[in-house]
Amino acid sequence: MGTDREGLTRPAETSPAEAGAPDAPRSHGRLASFVTSDHRYVFLGTSVLALAGIWLSMQPRSPWSFLRGAYAVEVVLYYVLVAWVALSLVALANKLARWRDYMRVSPFVRPGAKRAERYLSYAVVAIFAVLFVDRAVMGLCSAVSAAISSDSNPTDFLGGAIYMLYEGRDVFAKGIATTIGLATFGTVIAFFLAILLVFLRIQTVDRPDNDLVRFLKVVGTTFAKAYSAMVRGTPMMVQSLLIYFAGFAILRGTGMSTSQIGAIWSTFVAGLTTISLNSTAYMMEVLRGGIEAVDVGQAEAARSLGLSQWQAMTKVVFPQGIKNAIPALSNELVVNIKDSSVLSVIGVFDLMFATTTVAGIYYRQLEVYAIAAVCYLVLTMVASKLLSMFARHLEVQSPGPVLSTSDMTSTHGTAGGMADPSRVRLSPRHPAEKNDMGGR
Amino acid sequence: MDFREQEVVTPVMAKREEGPMDPIIRVEGLRKSFGSNVVLRDIDFQVMLGEVVTIIGASGSGKSTLLRCINLLETPDAGHVWFHGEDLASRHVDVNCLREKIGMVFQGFNLFNNMDVLQNCTLAPVTLGKMSREEAEAEAMRNLESVGLAGFAHAAVTSLSGGQKQRVAIARALCMKPDLMLFDEPTSALDPEIVGEVLSVMRDLAAQGMTMVVVTHEMEFAKNVSDKVVFMDQGVIAESGDPGKMFSSPELPRTREFLARYLDGPKAGE
Repeated sequence: MGTDREGLTRPAETSPAEAGAPDAPRSHGRLASFVTSDHRYVFLGTSVLALAGIWLSMQPRSPWSFLRGAYAVEVVLYYVLVAWVALSLVALANKLARWRDYMRVSPFVRPGAKRAERYLSYAVVAIFAVLFVDRAVMGLCSAVSAAISSDSNPTDFLGGAIYMLYEGRDVFAKGIATTIGLATFGTVIAFFLAILLVFLRIQTVDRPDNDLVRFLKVVGTTFAKAYSAMVRGTPMMVQSLLIYFAGFAILRGTGMSTSQIGAIWSTFVAGLTTISLNSTAYMMEVLRGGIEAVDVGQAEAARSLGLSQWQAMTKVVFPQGIKNAIPALSNELVVNIKDSSVLSVIGVFDLMFATTTVAGIYYRQLEVYAIAAVCYLVLTMVASKLLSMFARHLEVQSPGPVLSTSDMTSTHGTAGGMADPSRVRLSPRHPAEKNDMGGR
Repeated sequence: MDFREQEVVTPVMAKREEGPMDPIIRVEGLRKSFGSNVVLRDIDFQVMLGEVVTIIGASGSGKSTLLRCINLLETPDAGHVWFHGEDLASRHVDVNCLREKIGMVFQGFNLFNNMDVLQNCTLAPVTLGKMSREEAEAEAMRNLESVGLAGFAHAAVTSLSGGQKQRVAIARALCMKPDLMLFDEPTSALDPEIVGEVLSVMRDLAAQGMTMVVVTHEMEFAKNVSDKVVFMDQGVIAESGDPGKMFSSPELPRTREFLARYLDGPKAGE
């Protein structure tokens, strides 16, 4: 993050003189240089941590607290923190009183004092860490162990939530697995369907087309438009009920018994169908946006070389369009993880259904739905992290700059004032990539 | 349907009887309007084999539209574009096939951003089955060499400067071995310093005998390189002829006014 930011402010091309020496310290990273050499926020930052440590120290100890038997140690730690806060206050008062010439006259900025302050601040951070582990981490651990070993549902919020999560772990695990399966398979199926559908959607009549081709193209485009309007204009909950019961009715029409139908048209299959068909419409629109964002000149250049409309689309426009659409497409997986929750209405055993089941058993709604919220949050965060890693992987694979440094300076000199839209669009990503390379 | 085929076939036959002294491209009665805005009114225009024709004129006079009508990037409303004895404006002609023989260079370069320089050059010959990949790459390297960019074959398109991009675009068009090259303001998106590198490539091309139609604001190029200059004004060809005559003693006051602004104005400004 830090390096990216800095990369943006730098020009795209580094001159040879600049490329050498100053890059070396940056490879340590901004955070490292902030910790080891920046002195500006030593008092401010660590006194906040010290106050937090003092507050933690005043909290009751849990059974698992390792400072339990070392009361004297904790007293020492506590007073070190208090002393640090007091010292910070003195420094603050000194600074306020001598605002103008603080940097010259204050005893706090002498080299020796600065070094001492820095080491003390490390000690304060360490003490805070110890107290945090002792109170917060060990407290949570002991709460978990107590709730798990409890015979009845604890009455407090945290204990109850942990108890029900533990007791209902099989139900939750099954629900989470179903949710992941629905979202992943649904998104993948929808992606391929959307690619097919977007080709129908973006067709335009070309000069050499005969009347039959023209007619088919209009039919295809109209179908894609109508599909998108219908799917995006109705709630997924309604769609899932419609699809589930429609499938049921059709299979009933073939003379199958209810149990036979249940074997092939299960709620999971119906839910997966719903989520795929629903997501297809949204992904198609995303793809269409990405394709339409590609400069018309790209297709014109391809056509001018003699490529057909289809060749120009598949070789030139579509690869660029799909690259434009990757961020929004990957967002669709995250959306599907969340939206699959409405499928519980037809009885798909997803995370939402599992949560409702557990809530029904213990009759403790608040805690159980909080668990569901946390589970969904973790799932979506993990998914979006994985997708952004995947997207970055794709970025690296695209043909990168392979010029030597001297070539780049020569291009930089002449290309500076050029009004080329593609270059302007790419520039924010461009220097960041280069910076990454420098770091390695 | 039927009458249209009649309309097409007869002039083609008539055309073929005229023999080998045909113009390579002949535009007849070309009209084009965008909505209510009439851009081209009854253009008649022809280019002989090996000729370099420059089209000059104010912005909005229809120069680019004429060029884009020649290879059907814009569909004409009426008129004919004869190329190799076939009317490009007819619906029954395989435009893709004829476009292979007409190279086009755009103002905005329009290099394929998802490919490197060499892939840009080889895409069309390989996709259309004109050459094997090896042949296409050899041809591409020859053409890149001739525009002075052989060392950039595997560079990403986005890493090139404007002048380099335009030279790659010229090499890309040459890889299809066209009979005719169309240049649509090839230097207008470049800053003055690097206009020269593109113009010199075009000058070499003209010297090799390539037939070229160039829409440009570079009056020096029009004057020194072209065989014929066409001045367009408000959708019609106002005046055309030998560059020496056009630049020294234009017939129309409108032409004189336009050329005066270009030949004196920018130079005084620079």
